[in-house]
Amino acid sequence: MGFLRSAATTTTAAAAALAALTFTSLSPPSSSLPSLSLPKSLKFQSFSINKPFDHLGHSKNLTKPPSALHMDAPLSDYKPSSPQNGVLLPDLLTEFMVDMKCDGCVNAVKNKLNTLTGVKNVEVDLSNQVVRVLGSSPVKTMSEALEQTGRKARLIGQGVPEDFLVSAAVSEFKGPNIYGVVRLAQVNMELARVEANFSGLPTGKHGWSINEYGDLTRGAASTGRVFNPTTEEKPLGDLGTLEADEDGKAFFSGTKDNLRVSDLIGRSIAVYATEDKSDLGLSAAVIARSAGVGENYKKLCTCDGTTIWEASDADFVTSKV
Amino acid sequence: MATNTLLSLTTPSQSLLFPHSNPNPKSLSTSFHGPSLKISPKSLSLSAAPFKPLTIVAATKKAVAVLKGTSTVEGVVTLTQDDDGPTTVNVKITGLTPGPHGFHLHEFGDTTNGCMSTGPHFNPKGLTHGAPEDEVRHAGDLGNIIANADGVAEATIVDTQIPLSGPNAVIGRALVVHELQDDLGKGGHELSLSTGNAGGRLACGVLGLTPV
Repeated sequence: MGFLRSAATTTTAAAAALAALTFTSLSPPSSSLPSLSLPKSLKFQSFSINKPFDHLGHSKNLTKPPSALHMDAPLSDYKPSSPQNGVLLPDLLTEFMVDMKCDGCVNAVKNKLNTLTGVKNVEVDLSNQVVRVLGSSPVKTMSEALEQTGRKARLIGQGVPEDFLVSAAVSEFKGPNIYGVVRLAQVNMELARVEANFSGLPTGKHGWSINEYGDLTRGAASTGRVFNPTTEEKPLGDLGTLEADEDGKAFFSGTKDNLRVSDLIGRSIAVYATEDKSDLGLSAAVIARSAGVGENYKKLCTCDGTTIWEASDADFVTSKV
Repeated sequence: MATNTLLSLTTPSQSLLFPHSNPNPKSLSTSFHGPSLKISPKSLSLSAAPFKPLTIVAATKKAVAVLKGTSTVEGVVTLTQDDDGPTTVNVKITGLTPGPHGFHLHEFGDTTNGCMSTGPHFNPKGLTHGAPEDEVRHAGDLGNIIANADGVAEATIVDTQIPLSGPNAVIGRALVVHELQDDLGKGGHELSLSTGNAGGRLACGVLGLTPV
């Protein structure tokens, strides 16, 4: 392993290959990924969702889902060393609370979600107004689809059928200039999904990373170094580059190997002015615990009477992924 | 497979369970992964436990939250803990109306849906709302902080239910300062036993790790 380790530090491509090797050589192929072992009774889209990972762990640039065509910002950072973008994502359960009041609504919501690429199963609990989606679609795509049905929808939990120490986390950038939401969700022991939506960024490329501390007393400057629990030359917490469009918006959806959400709680995500992160950082936000699937059906804030349908853009400007 | 069975039992979504469990974590434990990534049998058994413990580096015993809201209320709260002793909370919040304000720790640090996504007061023992010194209280019930005539609240709270590590670690959860006084569960209002009837939220912040 000593040789392999040094080889892996030499080139990031080698690291990716090695990671993939670890997967394929050590896990029984039939159970190495949840999406490979779905019961046949679940609905499948025509998409080749059965093969989310090819030999290198990041699959070919498959056609993006239809909704990706009207994303606010171009996908950034296709470098194999970074969280892979433009890749078919592994499956997750995402739970939304949707303002549904009748069986008709249930069907409308189900039908709409089933048109999305990557959505494999939709369960609706009308009495709790909860919709549970299994699939690989980005949260942004699903949220937009739900809003298109004319109903209010709020993400209330994310996770996978297996239980992890902490399955979901969120990092919220609350301005005054930069707004954004980054969601992290554990897919399996060795892989996490990362989805980010930013607005208010200066147009252009920005380095971003998970930093070791969640101390915002001096903004990004007090968040320490890039999180690196290993001896690898490239820190695990390096998230690559975000590219903000002319309107200052950036969207990222991808996965990151070896990331364990439970190790990241209380650390932070920082966005830098420069691509090489040579500055003190534009903004940072603490990585907070977020509800897993079925963990939070709170609909009413009893302290001030706010309902979940009211609690949204009022206290947070950007779209809530 | 015993562990796998346990894992499946703890999941809330039986109907969507995959026929196979997740890959055997032990098989992925190679020297390629760094220390904190190591999937040891210990962490596997932890994940099967009913609680969701958070592994935090033992040396890290200090946390800080920067509280902000839509109003002028803002502040910094630091938590320090030596070993497994009580946690000391240092609060400085400005921009408040003079008088007492409810001060709570919520289960999640997620405010994307405001108060809803933060969940209830952190309450791993499943008790009703109370005062910090009560037996029956939420772990997240930190009582009231009192703002002076200038609207500044400075307080030092020492508490044994808000550790910085272990299964009930408070890191990554949200601190919230409220508009009104927390009646500490004794106000006789219908909300007294859940929230202390402390009114709306003025500012909140997520507890993050900071070097000692």
